Amino acid sequence: MTREETIERIRGIQAEVQRLRQASDNPAIERTMQLLDLYCHMARWELGDVEAMIPEAETR
Amino acid sequence: MQLYKPEVEAQRFWNPYTQTMPRADLDRLHLRKLQTVIAYAYAHSPMYRKLLDRHKVRPEQIRTMDDFVKRLPFIDKKEILDAQAVSPPFGDALAISEDFFHQRFATSGSTGVPLHIPLTYHSAELWGESWVYGFWAAGLRARHSFYFAFNWGIFAAFWSAYMGVRRLGATVVSGGGLDSKARLRQIEQYRPDVLLATPTYALYLGETAREIGMDLAKTSISHVYVAGEPGASIPATRRAIEELWGAKCYELYGIAELGPTNPGCPLQGGVHLCEEWYHALVVDESGHPVPYGEVGEHIVTSYIQDGQPLIKYRTHDLVRWTDVPCGCGTTWLYYPGGVLGRTDQMIIVKGVNVYPSALEALLHRVAGLSEHYELHVARDAVNDFVTVKVEARAEIGEDRYASVGREAEAVFKSVIGVSIGVEVQKPGSLPRYELKAKRFFDHRPVEHRWQLTGGPGA
Repeated sequence: MTREETIERIRGIQAEVQRLRQASDNPAIERTMQLLDLYCHMARWELGDVEAMIPEAETR
Repeated sequence: MQLYKPEVEAQRFWNPYTQTMPRADLDRLHLRKLQTVIAYAYAHSPMYRKLLDRHKVRPEQIRTMDDFVKRLPFIDKKEILDAQAVSPPFGDALAISEDFFHQRFATSGSTGVPLHIPLTYHSAELWGESWVYGFWAAGLRARHSFYFAFNWGIFAAFWSAYMGVRRLGATVVSGGGLDSKARLRQIEQYRPDVLLATPTYALYLGETAREIGMDLAKTSISHVYVAGEPGASIPATRRAIEELWGAKCYELYGIAELGPTNPGCPLQGGVHLCEEWYHALVVDESGHPVPYGEVGEHIVTSYIQDGQPLIKYRTHDLVRWTDVPCGCGTTWLYYPGGVLGRTDQMIIVKGVNVYPSALEALLHRVAGLSEHYELHVARDAVNDFVTVKVEARAEIGEDRYASVGREAEAVFKSVIGVSIGVEVQKPGSLPRYELKAKRFFDHRPVEHRWQLTGGPGA
């Protein structure tokens, strides 16, 4: 898989995770989705896809 | 079942994408990361907003690396402490809600007031990852277990290594709350692969082992990973640790308020800048970057500290940076010899720069001298002068101290080119330390020590 394909798939997963985080009213699920959001953000930085310093500072 | 797929586990680099990136591409990526961090700091940290406003520079004006180097001011520990004092513990330096805090650290405050360090979960994960670059390059994987000869206190110290072992997916074995003998017994019992300790403590455990009749070279330890003070990049110190433990010795160089900035090169002669999460400049006393190959003060920007951003932070560490391709294959900047000293430990004898790490390395060349030494620096009207106090090894008779001292003086003179005095002392006469050793004693007037006088906005 190319870097570009990897980034595109991570971005897609992250967007879905963010929607789930917003939709859930379960604290355990919200925290897990928040961490998944963070890990997607980290993975994108590791591939040079730099948008904001932390996920919460990204444009949404 | 394995944590990593075999073809992934066989990879040489933790993140081949950035670790092998050509320099020009790395620098372009750095600029984008720097712009992101500067914009974040300006928006969220009152300290940075005031600092940049005072220097009449706005984040959007940093368009090139040259802008970053020339327009953006350095920041020093004193300014962070002043910002924290506005409303302790974090005051104006804080850039994020405490909701995001994961852990708090503080420095010892041995030179004044403690500096407080807020760490978010994001920062903690990436502090850990910086260690993983070094672990992975040294061949350490998820199947290995890591022994922490460390008391888990408020100092950052090896906490970041713990975060690294978690990030790697390996096993933590805690030696917290135990004395040295109990730790050695635990090592026998749990058979860890890696010892994490300061170089001073890794060697100190040798004395404890001798007391209880234990041979450290016969333990399960195959790797000693040191941090906290110069160690594995000094060949003689590395050799002493490797012979004692029958293990390979690597080091990581980090700074408490910034994290683990430089994991060790697997070829062991120095450290690499972790260019994934840090940017660095090396500058002279006037604040200008020195050419590659030269020595200067290490100025670091972190891409990790979202709780308390640090941009162009003065570390006061002296390093030599190089961009020559390293034999280990990474394109990341290489610092041969690791940290060469502190700016406040800069010694100039008759026009020659003398680095404490170089003196330590040469001392080990002289048979009959131990690893326990102190450097005392004083000054006459025009010159610094240095006296090394060093313990003899137990097998050397007192009648030989003077001749061994003269031999060490001759080694210094022939390699460095200037006279360094050597006083050989009895074994056990110098203090012992469990963490960092205090080896440097400066008796010079303050005005004769390194001072960064220039730089943007100076």
